[in-house]
Amino acid sequence: MATLTVSLTINSLDVLSTNLGLSLQKSISVDSGNIIRAKVKGTAADSNDLAVYVANQCSDRAYLYIKNLELELENYIYVHNDTDTGLVAKIGGGEFAFIPINPDKKHEVYATRVDTMIEYGVFGNDNSANQYGGT
Amino acid sequence: MATTTATLTLSSSDLTGDALSLSTTATLTKAGTVTGLNQTTGVARKTTSASSQYTLFDGDAYANGSHKVYVKNTSTVATEYVTIEINSEQMGKLYAGDWAFFPWEANADTNDIKLQPSVSTALTVEYALFYE
Repeated sequence: MATLTVSLTINSLDVLSTNLGLSLQKSISVDSGNIIRAKVKGTAADSNDLAVYVANQCSDRAYLYIKNLELELENYIYVHNDTDTGLVAKIGGGEFAFIPINPDKKHEVYATRVDTMIEYGVFGNDNSANQYGGT
Repeated sequence: MATTTATLTLSSSDLTGDALSLSTTATLTKAGTVTGLNQTTGVARKTTSASSQYTLFDGDAYANGSHKVYVKNTSTVATEYVTIEINSEQMGKLYAGDWAFFPWEANADTNDIKLQPSVSTALTVEYALFYE
């Protein structure tokens, strides 16, 4: 088992009349994880989507880090699972998310623009019955 | 225009043979612009004492945009979790001490962010919304 330390800071001097300085840190016990850069081909759901998580790839819990590396904010990426119709997240160029995901469902990404580059990683406890890299 | 930045750091010395050290920062801006998000709920907390689902942010109350959401389960009991649902889709579960940070579009009246605690005893979540 390994330890993944995840930190988030949110700072602003002027969004409120008082300074905002939120700082969090969490250590998570995981036995698997990755950081990948890849291009997203698909521009519509369920058509050339990029799979970032295979259903039951992790047991009991999984965390997804994903960043849209596009420079233009309006070049979005869309994260969804392959069994429901709604979006889990819509992420603009330069934006990122760190979220827990439903470990039972395959998660895929499509984008506004063909060949949108993303960076992502999934961390959790690997389930050998559903190996990462499947589609 | 307000300037708000969010920095995420992922690090591990023992997950792989090559130490993981990732840090990324984003300035929180409105959709399709470089204008900073200038409205916020501030950092707030909500304590529930029932396991029923409730609406944290109502999609009808915010304009379609590129809002940013922070949510944390402040529980220290490892088995206690909060299920996050967005637009009627389960995003995932925040266990004790877990947090999430993600953009939120609020593109429809039904595009709510809802939480459901796993316990009917006191459970506190901390949250903040930065919005257009």
